Amino acid sequence: MAGVVKAPGAFAITPHKVSVCILVNIYASPSQISVPFPFSSVSQHNRLGLYLLALTKSCDDILEPKLDQLINQLREVGGLLDHWLTDHVTSRLSSLSSPDDLFNFFNELRETLGGPDSGVMEDDQVILDPNSNLGMFLRRCILAFNLLTFEGICHLLTNIGIYCKEAISSCSSYELRRVDDSGNDLESLSEYENMDLNLVFKKINEEMEARKRATEQVSFHLHLPKELSTLVEDIEVFADPKSEHNDKGRESSSYASGELLRDVDPNGGVFLSTNWQIQGYLMEQADAIEKHGSSFTLNAFELTLRQLQKLAPELHRVHFLRYLNNLYHDDYFSALENLHRFFDYSAGTEGFDFVPPAGCNSFGRYEIALLCLGMMHFHFGHPKKALEVLTEAVRVAQQHSNDTCLAYTLAAICSLLSEIGFSTTSGILGSPFSPMISVGTSLSVQQQLFVLLKGSLKRAESLKLKQLVAANHLAMAKFDLTHVQRPLLSFGPKTSMKLRTCPIIVCKELRSGYHLISEFCCEGSTMTADGAFSTAWLKNLQKPMGSLVLSQDNGSRNNSNPFLFFTQPSSIPGSVMQLVGSSYLHRATAWEIYGSAPLARVNALVYATCFADASSSSDAALVHVKLIQHLAVFKGYKEAFAALKTAEEKFLCVSKSRILILKLQLLHERALHRGHLKLAQQVCDELGVLASSVTAVDMELKTEASLRHARTLLAAKQFSQAAAVAHSLFCMCYKFNLQVESATVLLLLAEIHMKSGNAVVGLPYALASLSYCQTFNLDLLRASATLTLAELWLSLGSNHAKTALTLLHGAFPMILGHGGLELCARAYITEAKCYLSDPSFSVSRNPELVLDPLRQAADELQALEHHELMAEAFYLMAIVFDKLGQPEQREEAASSFKNHVMSLDHPHDVEDPIQSDTLLNA
Amino acid sequence: MSSKESCRIELRTAIRQLSDRCLYSASKWAAEQLVGIEQDPAKFTPSNTRFQRGSSSIHRRFRTNEITSTPPTGVAYVSTPVMEEDEAIHGDFYLLAKSYFDCREYRRAAHVLRDQTGKKSVFLRCYSLYLAGEKRKEEEMIELEGPLGKSDAVNRELVSLERELATLCKNNTIDPFGLYLYGLVLKEKGNENLARKVLVESVNSYPWNWSAWSELQSLCTTVDILNGLNLSNHWMKEFFLASIYQELRMHNESLSKYENLQGMFTFSNYIQAQIAKARYSLREFEQVEVIFEDLLRNDPYRLEDMDTYSNVLYTKECFSALSYLAHRVIMTDKYRPESCCIIGNYYSLKGQHEKSVVYFRRALKLNKNYLSAWTLMGHEYVEMKNTPAAVDAYRRAVDINPRDYRAWYGLGQAYEMMGMPHYALHYFRKSVFFQPIDSRLWIAMAQCYESEQLHMLEEAIKCYKRAANCNDTEAIALHRLAILHRELDQPEEAAFYYKKDLERMEAEEREGPNIVEALMFLATHYKTQKKFEEAEVYCTRLLDYTGPERETAKSLLRGMRIAQSGFPSMDVEHFHP
Repeated sequence: MAGVVKAPGAFAITPHKVSVCILVNIYASPSQISVPFPFSSVSQHNRLGLYLLALTKSCDDILEPKLDQLINQLREVGGLLDHWLTDHVTSRLSSLSSPDDLFNFFNELRETLGGPDSGVMEDDQVILDPNSNLGMFLRRCILAFNLLTFEGICHLLTNIGIYCKEAISSCSSYELRRVDDSGNDLESLSEYENMDLNLVFKKINEEMEARKRATEQVSFHLHLPKELSTLVEDIEVFADPKSEHNDKGRESSSYASGELLRDVDPNGGVFLSTNWQIQGYLMEQADAIEKHGSSFTLNAFELTLRQLQKLAPELHRVHFLRYLNNLYHDDYFSALENLHRFFDYSAGTEGFDFVPPAGCNSFGRYEIALLCLGMMHFHFGHPKKALEVLTEAVRVAQQHSNDTCLAYTLAAICSLLSEIGFSTTSGILGSPFSPMISVGTSLSVQQQLFVLLKGSLKRAESLKLKQLVAANHLAMAKFDLTHVQRPLLSFGPKTSMKLRTCPIIVCKELRSGYHLISEFCCEGSTMTADGAFSTAWLKNLQKPMGSLVLSQDNGSRNNSNPFLFFTQPSSIPGSVMQLVGSSYLHRATAWEIYGSAPLARVNALVYATCFADASSSSDAALVHVKLIQHLAVFKGYKEAFAALKTAEEKFLCVSKSRILILKLQLLHERALHRGHLKLAQQVCDELGVLASSVTAVDMELKTEASLRHARTLLAAKQFSQAAAVAHSLFCMCYKFNLQVESATVLLLLAEIHMKSGNAVVGLPYALASLSYCQTFNLDLLRASATLTLAELWLSLGSNHAKTALTLLHGAFPMILGHGGLELCARAYITEAKCYLSDPSFSVSRNPELVLDPLRQAADELQALEHHELMAEAFYLMAIVFDKLGQPEQREEAASSFKNHVMSLDHPHDVEDPIQSDTLLNA
Repeated sequence: MSSKESCRIELRTAIRQLSDRCLYSASKWAAEQLVGIEQDPAKFTPSNTRFQRGSSSIHRRFRTNEITSTPPTGVAYVSTPVMEEDEAIHGDFYLLAKSYFDCREYRRAAHVLRDQTGKKSVFLRCYSLYLAGEKRKEEEMIELEGPLGKSDAVNRELVSLERELATLCKNNTIDPFGLYLYGLVLKEKGNENLARKVLVESVNSYPWNWSAWSELQSLCTTVDILNGLNLSNHWMKEFFLASIYQELRMHNESLSKYENLQGMFTFSNYIQAQIAKARYSLREFEQVEVIFEDLLRNDPYRLEDMDTYSNVLYTKECFSALSYLAHRVIMTDKYRPESCCIIGNYYSLKGQHEKSVVYFRRALKLNKNYLSAWTLMGHEYVEMKNTPAAVDAYRRAVDINPRDYRAWYGLGQAYEMMGMPHYALHYFRKSVFFQPIDSRLWIAMAQCYESEQLHMLEEAIKCYKRAANCNDTEAIALHRLAILHRELDQPEEAAFYYKKDLERMEAEEREGPNIVEALMFLATHYKTQKKFEEAEVYCTRLLDYTGPERETAKSLLRGMRIAQSGFPSMDVEHFHP
């Protein structure tokens, strides 16, 4: 209960602690020799001591290990002594049969402790220092026992009884066997041990088959010879751990959430013993949910959580996990319900470790609840609601002077503003922001966003929240990438500003994101929780010293330990890796926009190779999308579709949409190139549907869908409609400040006018696009705009061919260096056309000047199956050959031309597997 | 409904059978109903009917609609034959076991019956074992409370009992009492569907066991489940339906059922208390108070449902009556959750919230799932400004019963207090969802919308409208509606609501600044509308009040007169457009 704080982790005495006490007693038995009786060497003695230290450190439990688990651990530690140790522990435990025995036992324990004046003791006597770890533990146990009521002692006694009985009943059968008939059966056992199990099974099967054949109507109660039946039993003994091992190996590799079920289950092999481990487990699962999104199994994990809640009803974090689980499975109502429940119970004080506990006031931190609620609305695509909630979060955080939360909230608002297109925030971003936006509300959304970003960054820096700083740098980079900085003041002295984006600033911001990783390398250790170390050590115990008799079994247990891989403290937390990874993604995107294909590819590749483990599935999918798009543009569709297939397998159900969108994009482009206009329109419509899904309108996708729609119309030669679509698209882009997209749309408009024969109308659009490109440093787009401009000039008449050619040659380095196949081919063809239409140019004198680019173009277009441009190239070639008087080659080119024109007119000859199966899917 | 006499005979037999099986609370209930049946005054001496006399006054006062004792048409009640005792000769062992049981030595009782095979003996043995396990469980629950609230105290007898009863059930050698116990065990084990089935079977073959009905009721959490039950039509079913309707917040249906039943069981205290509870949920406090007073006169040591009475007294701020009640219950039995709750209410009314929390806490210790104590404790924490604790208490109430609108409302209030109106809205929404007829909830929600942080006046108006439609006793909604419309510059609507508010205040003969405000607005409004006659009426009324408004009214009147006489052209313009 939040109001009345219970004594945190009241130390209760349990059977497990009693057995630890027994062990401590053995370790420090009051004898006169330095190495007490059962131990043969000092190192053996020390080893037990270390083990006990680890045990006592991990004693704040939810679930404690059972006796048999303790015995198994003892076997690892005790080495030769394990018999003696386990026997001693069990016999001592079972000798406790009445309350009085317990009293005596704890009295004995007291003798192990040295008095406060332990200075007078002899040197070689083993006496526990009461202030040492073990001594403290003993004292706590004794104190807890003394505080027990008589009823409590009775419970302890019954629990000890159960504890021993369970150990005996659930103790693996080999244990019993070893105790019972260790003498005679051991040899035969080890014999079977080395035998190939499959072989034995096969033999049995064969024998059964043979018997079946011999007696036709054999009953099911096959009377196996006794030997054989015992054989089967023996095999089961060995087969069991092995199958379990396989089982676990598979599950742990696939982040199975079912793990805990077995872990909580008292009969399971591995147990979640400590509070730390439970918390760690939950944290791990939270990461997994966030990473894998909807592929995480909803119901299995829900079951686990329910069980956990039953065991520990006051462990409220379970509700949070449930919220996350529901969130990523798009269950709005349960998510909302669980979020509220979690914060009602925990008052925001549980589970948020990033908040320094020092500044914690007694009134709960409900602002965190608001922050989470805001993010939830954001996730579900209710930006307006999210903004309202986050506004309230800002206000409450300010009121409670929770600066950390404030910084996070501001960052959340920034990402909300930058990701979802608001045309206006007036009325939403109200009074609470006034200290930050002192300039007033006359600013545009973008300017407000900029101010918020700056403020958030400053705040994060002053609070030394490194991850947030890095995230803010990334957001800043993103902002700088697509926005021109304008002076915020509309009056007063203005410094002269270049009205263009600055790639250097973007780079700087991205780079400052990297610093994060180096800082975490130095202080990474403080991030992992204390308890993790002792448990990691406990796990590693099993590694080095296995007893020889059951080595096979040990091996399997080591591998099957699902905790091994995450209890080892890694120096860099996953979230940091994710951040650093996403800075690479940002880089790739930045280069994509700036038009450097190789650099974009390199960065995407770095991400895919180095951060694949840490990345969330949607990010990983994004990188794949980028790489495949690159392939499509530079290598043609065949390779792209092959890659797409592997990607589809990899992200089978995970974030399907992103891969699906890519597939649609590729299909659309290919359909356009091949001239399958109907198909193109269909795919385009599908994209449009995806853009406004149930969750939210994806502005980016929406823009793209209508851009593609305009392109399809253009290809169908419906110029006025295409122009109308493009125009309304431009209006939308302008409204939502999508300036990079505006450049593309303008270019498209120019193209539409050029194709419709209105080159004069097209020119201003091309020029406007060019100026946009210049402002935002979109070099590749600029080159392609220049190309369009050249084409426009060319279509104005042959006397402009020189101008066109100059323009084209200016753009050539960029196009050839970074442009895709289509762009290069277009440039080549245009070059050839320029030459051809230039009256001062004579073909016969310099045929290669024309033929060479045409051949290049034809080659490159081959991969794209771009029939229209190919036809054009071959047509030009035929003309050139005709002029050169080479009829054979002319005929060849002409027939190619004819082929391409034919296939453009009859697009449905080619059967395409991928295309048909998408349509089925869709 | 079957005749009174047959009912009486059935109940008498049932009481004997139930108490013979140590099902005491069921037999208590049955006996209460038995005495509640109206006696034929001719046959009995006054001493017999003394118990019933006292309650007649209330019936005269409140039975406006005379209830006929004929059942609704088309319903034929099955007459379930009274069960024959299977063991004619009570074994001596049974007698011993029963005495042990009566002395609460359950294990001893079970031990005595270990070899008996009669159905009755088997039942008593199983029942004693069950109770022994329950007793131990309760003790252990207190003894073993872990740091994270983990308490693995279970009734250790459940497993073996389930096994035994399942076998009996399979062999068809189980009587309705055994079925009841089986249902109980199954419910405890979490097998609700089977439990429901078994309990239905039990009540169908032996309907007079009220405990079985109550268990069944606790398993029916929705109307759909209730409709899915296959219950035969015995008159006991009416009691069940009335009770479950109340639980499902179908108060009017419940009330009509109870009033119907009262035709037969005229003097049943139980029915009277249930009616009081239903009326309490319908917020008819005056009547509830009368009913409870009457009830206490007849049955002064009654503790059941007295917490509801204390709630009424609390709302009506009857200090002395509440203290008297608290004194009385503490003399009767201080360790009953109801008693603690009443004392808690008393301290709360006195403004001693810390003490109040102590008593609510005690009530919760006695019954962890005592819903209203959680909610009331939440209220106390709110008063003490310990919002996190309040939130926690409310949340626990909500998790026990998600339909508890008071707790949702409390959660909303707590968050509003912390300056998180948007967050609070979620809870208010929940609260009005479960209780759409309570104006206070709508007003709270409207105030949330109105708060300066949100300032969503349109939504606030919608909420106030809902509040005004559901009998807003404190008359906040109309006034606020008028003010909001005025603020939003919608004078027509504002005038409409001011007028309504004014009418209401006149009807209730209320005085206060609101009247002046309304009059003032209406006068100026009609003046600007050039409806001078109406304006004059309001102005003259304003003259009755002292203060600056009076002067304003005077000048308004003067101005109007000048306008009417001095500029007749305007009048023409106005009246003959």
